[in-house]
Amino acid sequence: MFKRGTSLVGVLVLIALILVACSPAATPAPASDSSGSEATTEAEAAPASGSGEGGTIIVGLQAEPTTLDSQQISDYNSHRAAYGLYDALLRFKDESTAVEPGLAESWEISDDGLVYTLKLRQGVKFHDGTDFNAEAAKFNLERQIDVNHPFHDTGEFPYAEFTWGTVDKVEVVDDYTLKITLKEPFAPFLNHLAMHPAAIVSPAAIEKYGRDISNNPVGTGPFKFVSWTPGVEVVLEKNPDYWRGAPHVDKVIYRPIIEDQSRLTELEAGGVNFIVNIPPDDLARLKDDPNLNVVEQPGMHTWWVAFNQAKAPFDNTQVRQAINYAVNKQAIVDNLLQGTGTLAVNPLPPVVWSYTDDIQRYDYSPEKAKELLAEAGYPDGFSCSFWVPESGSGMQQPVAMGTAIQADLKAVGIDCEIQTFEWGTYLDKVIVPPEDAEYDMFEMSWIGDNGDPDNHLYILLSGEQWPPQGYNMGFYKNDEVDALLQEARTTLDQAKRTELYQEAQKLIAQDPPWIIVDHETQIVAMDKSIKNFKLHPTGPFRFENVWIEE
Amino acid sequence: MTRYVTQRVISLIPVLIGVTLLVFLVMQLAPGDPAQIMLGPKATESSLAQLRHELGLDQPIYVQYGRWLTRVVQGDWGRSIQLKREVLPFILERFRNSAYLMVLAVLLACSAGIPAGIISAIRQYSLDDRVAMILVLVGFSIPIFWLGIMLQIIFGLKLGILPVSGMQSPGQTGMLDLLKHLILPAVALATGATAIIARMTRSSMLEVVRQDYIRTARAKGLTERTTTGRHALKNALIPVITIVGLQVGYLLGGDILIEIVFSYPGIGLAMVNGILARDFPLVQGAILLVASSYVLINLAVDITYAYIDPRIHYEQ
Repeated sequence: MFKRGTSLVGVLVLIALILVACSPAATPAPASDSSGSEATTEAEAAPASGSGEGGTIIVGLQAEPTTLDSQQISDYNSHRAAYGLYDALLRFKDESTAVEPGLAESWEISDDGLVYTLKLRQGVKFHDGTDFNAEAAKFNLERQIDVNHPFHDTGEFPYAEFTWGTVDKVEVVDDYTLKITLKEPFAPFLNHLAMHPAAIVSPAAIEKYGRDISNNPVGTGPFKFVSWTPGVEVVLEKNPDYWRGAPHVDKVIYRPIIEDQSRLTELEAGGVNFIVNIPPDDLARLKDDPNLNVVEQPGMHTWWVAFNQAKAPFDNTQVRQAINYAVNKQAIVDNLLQGTGTLAVNPLPPVVWSYTDDIQRYDYSPEKAKELLAEAGYPDGFSCSFWVPESGSGMQQPVAMGTAIQADLKAVGIDCEIQTFEWGTYLDKVIVPPEDAEYDMFEMSWIGDNGDPDNHLYILLSGEQWPPQGYNMGFYKNDEVDALLQEARTTLDQAKRTELYQEAQKLIAQDPPWIIVDHETQIVAMDKSIKNFKLHPTGPFRFENVWIEE
Repeated sequence: MTRYVTQRVISLIPVLIGVTLLVFLVMQLAPGDPAQIMLGPKATESSLAQLRHELGLDQPIYVQYGRWLTRVVQGDWGRSIQLKREVLPFILERFRNSAYLMVLAVLLACSAGIPAGIISAIRQYSLDDRVAMILVLVGFSIPIFWLGIMLQIIFGLKLGILPVSGMQSPGQTGMLDLLKHLILPAVALATGATAIIARMTRSSMLEVVRQDYIRTARAKGLTERTTTGRHALKNALIPVITIVGLQVGYLLGGDILIEIVFSYPGIGLAMVNGILARDFPLVQGAILLVASSYVLINLAVDITYAYIDPRIHYEQ
């Protein structure tokens, strides 16, 4: 069988040689028509003439998208992959959550805040060639809201209730005028018209594909759908007839690469040229890499530890203040998050309007913590349970951060025992009414949806929003805060609303509901050749104004 | 023989029903609500209730199980809650992808492990034997995900000769492209199995070459090559085949880790995502498929004995 003298060591060397001799894999480096033009500055709004057209952006996503029907989306990966396919009725301005015209050119709000009249853009066509008009818009909204709509069963609409819950009726006034009537005045509603459930899908395509619209998306956006191979890639190509003007790049491909380390290796090896979620340990190295560009933007995110305020000792304001002093939040941000988050002093992220940091702060001070605990009647501290998820959307490094907090609390005599849970189980056990709450303390985070302060302060801290009504998990209750938040959400004047929210932020800081730790920074890394990319606070990637320059 | 195979196939049915029942109960008893996970923390109570109703989750468990099993038998494996598409075509495609990986890994493991074991055995205590046995120890002890990441960094990044992850390069569908993507995950997956197969082959060979009939063969003046190749190897391989069959089960476990590290769109990754999303129809379907294939592979192993070992007869 084997010739005498064949050495196993020799065979191993041979195998190694064969492997090394394998021809190099074709790395899909973005092809570009540019002819070696000079580097342009990031501020330029368009590529130098004759360069920067064409090329492919390959995005390494964290996980597989679950749907490309914008109205069915409930996760970031789907949102990012589907974003370029659609236009919403209104649009969030670049790098901001203020709204500007989208498929609606202009809008009017009645004085009582109940009727929104939208003038729609004429001459816009869906990718399947059908016309966008008021009937199409009405179809899209009613498909989500009305359980008797003939196409309601073509999907599940996780955000319908949130986005359209206050809508009473949707009417077509004429071909290009849509009237939306609300049940009660609701100031943040205008922003909802720019959210992903307000992205308009072709009614003809919904009729054609039924439930399979989820993987055969048709919109009006800057990119058209080409293919979706589950687990492999979602391919979009440019829409040359886009009403705002055709994008510069030919294709955008989204690849799910689950492992953070593998995604990074893919970027460095050139298998992708754009990635999300950089592991904190690698951030500094990537920033130093001359071939890569790291883009950061503070997101609408807050990370905190909540208490069960329905029972002692957490019903005591002094105890919650003491805990806030006891935790070295700056150390967590510096040593664990390493620049992937910024210190938070307020439940509201700084990117959301009305944010103020002119409020009471809780800088690290174990001495103050001990004093306050003694005043509150707990000179020797107490023991409690502390729930931590193993991982989870927006949870950053839940276990490491939880352990750091546990150690800080131990130093002032509070002995908490960490219990970890899988994310699905965790959500099930923390979003519960007071009578079912088994926790003392738990970690949570929130990513804003519509850019309105109401989306953070009211939903998370109003006394009317205890689960199951809302997401005031931990059962914070402050009557003065409640009154301000209620007034602010029904007031239309933004200056007045800003005043009310700032007042509420001050009161909340004096009576802290949580240990407020950080706001996560959105970070993406891309090949240096990708120009003019801007992150948006709501999370999706806008590639319509991006070009590639070799 | 036919009768034996038929009996074995029929006996698979209760095994598979047992598997589905177990999976169904485990998934249902695990805390976490698919509707809640799907709609996220921002869902309202009424939309949750409606979704649970649409998904049939508001029915008693036995009703859900009965309905599911009836439909599975009829070929309707349901719709994935998370991916919003038909389960059966989806998991079949994912299973095919994993099969590529597993077949290549098994081939690599056998073609490296069996020769290594033979050489070690016939040259016991030589340098080759010692090097091989040290490599076996290393191969068996290396954590598979770490090995995967190292292979990515060495061959994908530093040498740049093989793709880092995925199954195909964007826009490519060719066999060569697929093969390039398969090499690193298959090597990582095969390492542990190679080690076990090499060890098993070695000890089995060592036992056989000490048998009287081998001494007789040598005494008859047969060449060393005929003696080891024809007489010893055939008998030594029987336990090795059992091990290879069992390895397929272990490979399925390692396959899940490897598919995560390499973002390889196989059945393992589909199951992990499905479990995290409490996607009952997907997970149940995938486990049923995987369990059936495992049972069938074991059946195939049993049948292979008959051809290799003349002492085994299945006729009664």
